[in-house]
Amino acid sequence: MELQPSKILKRELARQSQHAIQRCFELLRCIVLLCIFVLPCVAGCSTHAKRLAEPRNLFYAGQMDQCREQLTKLSKSHRGDRDVAMLDLAMVDLVGGDAKQAESRLRDVRDRFEYLEQDSLTEKTLSAWTDDQMRSYAGEDYERMLVYAFLSLSNLMHDGGDAEAYSLQLNEKRAQLINAAIEKSGPEAEKAYRPVSMGDYLRGVIRESNRRDYDDAAKAYARVVEWNPEVIPFQWDLNRVRTSVHSQPGMGVIYVFALVGRGPIKVEVAEQPTSDALLIADRIVSAVGPYSLPPTLAPIKIPDIQIPAIEIDNVGVAIDQKRLGPTQCVTSVERIALDTYAANRSSIVARAVVRRVLKKASIVAAKKVAGTEGLTSFAMDAAGVAWEATESADTRCWGLLPREIQVMRIEVPAGSRNVTLHPLVRDRVSGLANTVSVHVNEGENTYVLACFPDSQTIGQIRSNR
Amino acid sequence: MDRRKALQVLGTLSVTWTFAGCRGHQYGHVIKKDAPNMVGSHDAGAEVFDPLVDEAVMKLLGRQCIPSPDQPIGQDGMPMKKTVCFVGVENKSAEEIGDFKDQLYQQIDSKILESQTFSSVSRRMVDAALFETRLRPDSLLVPSNMQLFTQVLSRQGAPIDHLLFATLTSGTTERNSSKQRDYLLTLEMTNVHDGTYDKQSAEIRKGYHKTAVGKLWNYNPLKY
Repeated sequence: MELQPSKILKRELARQSQHAIQRCFELLRCIVLLCIFVLPCVAGCSTHAKRLAEPRNLFYAGQMDQCREQLTKLSKSHRGDRDVAMLDLAMVDLVGGDAKQAESRLRDVRDRFEYLEQDSLTEKTLSAWTDDQMRSYAGEDYERMLVYAFLSLSNLMHDGGDAEAYSLQLNEKRAQLINAAIEKSGPEAEKAYRPVSMGDYLRGVIRESNRRDYDDAAKAYARVVEWNPEVIPFQWDLNRVRTSVHSQPGMGVIYVFALVGRGPIKVEVAEQPTSDALLIADRIVSAVGPYSLPPTLAPIKIPDIQIPAIEIDNVGVAIDQKRLGPTQCVTSVERIALDTYAANRSSIVARAVVRRVLKKASIVAAKKVAGTEGLTSFAMDAAGVAWEATESADTRCWGLLPREIQVMRIEVPAGSRNVTLHPLVRDRVSGLANTVSVHVNEGENTYVLACFPDSQTIGQIRSNR
Repeated sequence: MDRRKALQVLGTLSVTWTFAGCRGHQYGHVIKKDAPNMVGSHDAGAEVFDPLVDEAVMKLLGRQCIPSPDQPIGQDGMPMKKTVCFVGVENKSAEEIGDFKDQLYQQIDSKILESQTFSSVSRRMVDAALFETRLRPDSLLVPSNMQLFTQVLSRQGAPIDHLLFATLTSGTTERNSSKQRDYLLTLEMTNVHDGTYDKQSAEIRKGYHKTAVGKLWNYNPLKY
């Protein structure tokens, strides 16, 4: 039977409209996929490094109240940034003279890091589909160690009762991190974890001051000397506790702790995956099936440690206007951060590579499932590209750390003393001096803390007396 | 690749990524008094120090509790307690004993007080005397220093009969990846009146192994 032209037209119209509806559904599916995959990632575009820039500038400009306000706001607006914002707030408190509050904040973060160090299935899965910013931040290894050093210092500045316990915890933490690193990367990994000598130094200072445990002080100072052989005053400390006493009759001791320079921060960099990282990634992927890494990979975004330019070398110390010399580095935060981060860098790159592979595979699989072609396929490719492009590196970090922690010990006659500190660059005074009056008790220690990120001191010089 | 296969691939990759692991909270519990101590895997702990203190203190005080002919007699007709000034614990071992040092001091001091024949001087008084004399604990056995130190304590109202020093030492024997460490706690008691000296040591040996079979390999009970 021959069909009427009108019927043929109707059938053709029906077929075309059905095809158009199918295309619409496909496009809709693409949009949905785009929303599912891309939109959550857009939130990851802004990195902590960008959010930290303003409070960091305020801190270095000496505007402590505004800095505190910004950091508090940051800790509330970005849940993932809360702990690092707390660390920075602790620095603001410590430098601002509220050592007790600083200790409290640091203790909270220490406990949070302890908890977050454990693996979370949910976060790992989410971060595999988005980026590392989806993970709760458990601190880089250097930060986990330095929390204890600053806990010890904060405690010493207001009470001193727990300072020694924190310094012992610091050594325990280091041993724990070394064990974890050895388990992950072999015995060579230990080399990256040089001790935070500040912990040993503080233990030596505290044990020496009780005039009974010179043996403990000697062990602690011996470790400081071992890792800082070029610093002569530390050898004097060691000799003193081996052969002499804390202080001579009528004398007391002032310890000047200086937070010198601007410390390490994390920035986002594009990384061509290293062969080590690819090998690790390949092992992970190959372990679960006959899938290998794609032969070519676009650069991936990972965090890297950046050390700001050096604007100050030491801090010159004068007591009652008599110049005594510069402070000496007891802990190079810069060095510890670079070494420990380098030890873990391959794993970070590997994780980013696996994530990239997973995303590519997801797009391919989605296209196969949907059986897309032409415009839809192009749209999905675009979505995939956008998905990968919106990935950001996890640049969360303790942003207000100093480059170095420096110290100087001065034995002075008991009584009121004026301590004057001035920034030094290549042994020359390069900024305004700052003076604080402290009271020195006979046979006791007085602790002075100052922050010199550059040629200007931040906040006031603080003392525990 | 069909839908199921694709989902399998994605699922497997996700699981690989995440491996296994969930965050848990930390818990604590009180250990019963008769429960054995935990044995430290890398260094000495309560399992070494507790028995060392028990043995050394008991033996030394047990030997010293016999009254000497020149010991003053109290109003009740019994010999008066001898006063011991426990100066401190010196750690000369290869290990950092950390917070155990003060624990050792308190354990030994408590055991002296628990004994019926000895009393001890408060640690705060000892610290005050060290502060006043500016003497190092390890220099107290020099006769002039000892005299000065005891004079200061007497002036504070705490005359003493004996000075007590505790020293922790260790000796290490290594064999491939295994290690034996002998811990020795030595108590040295010096009579400040006549300079006589007594000493008691207690020893515990401990093995450290990198592998589970290390203990069997080095200390095979069938071999000895």
